[in-house]
Amino acid sequence: MASKKTDIFSYIPDGKHSGSINYAELEIGTVVSQQKYILDRKSVQKYISAVKDTSVKPETSASNIAPPMSIAALSLRGVVNDLKIPGGTLHIGQELSFLKPVRVGMHLECVAILSSNSVRGEYRFMVVDLNVKDDLNDHVMKGKSTIMLPVDISVQ
Amino acid sequence: MQDGNPIIEVIKEITSDQVLLYAEASGDFNPIHINKEFAEKSQFGRNIAHGMMVAATISESMSLTFGESWHHSGKVKIRFRSPAYPGDTITTSGQIQKMVLSEEGTEVKCSVLVTNQAGETIISGSSSVIISN
Repeated sequence: MASKKTDIFSYIPDGKHSGSINYAELEIGTVVSQQKYILDRKSVQKYISAVKDTSVKPETSASNIAPPMSIAALSLRGVVNDLKIPGGTLHIGQELSFLKPVRVGMHLECVAILSSNSVRGEYRFMVVDLNVKDDLNDHVMKGKSTIMLPVDISVQ
Repeated sequence: MQDGNPIIEVIKEITSDQVLLYAEASGDFNPIHINKEFAEKSQFGRNIAHGMMVAATISESMSLTFGESWHHSGKVKIRFRSPAYPGDTITTSGQIQKMVLSEEGTEVKCSVLVTNQAGETIISGSSSVIISN
């Protein structure tokens, strides 16, 4: 797959977007997001509080393992920001494979590549492949996100 | 553990505060989730919860059922069928559909489902995990 590193997207960590993207011009194979981040304890605890995950047992050593879905959430954060996902966009499908437990404090890199970009009726459907590696260069998670956005806001 | 067995059920109430907290945790500030005026003009008529916040209950259920195996061999494939709204009570359930022996262990394939208090499907899909033989 051809991979073109785009440098026109600037990551805005607070989740607020600026500018717009002509989604119709995004080609298959485009790296739409490439982010490095630390899975710090504060972010993981905030995530656990938000989803009220009862499978995390703080009294055990396993509490140093982040919930797998927190990896997905933090990885999607880069995609949401870098793709400048407009309001009204809907997340309609998700595939995830968790390949290795991730300890809190681990450095991760998520690369997101556009694998499909099509229009059906009044909506644009985009599929983004996610690849997350740890600082040992091991894959920890792979995924595929499908989003749907109105054509009228996706060709601005 | 055998075909037809249920996975551990998870029941949660979705609140506006939780949606806001998830927006902060995930960085997803799509106004459909957090802006009342924007959401009122949308096809939903009100704020909806983040799909991935609801999907987290599937991971929770699989983790409660299969333990750490979920962290290194879990797979999930889901469709977001309809939105969950603040005030909804969601139930996440599932069932073992098939168990396949391999050199790595036993792959346990499950169906997963998230419904609201009216029984409407919010998320449907499948998940799998490999457990030691």
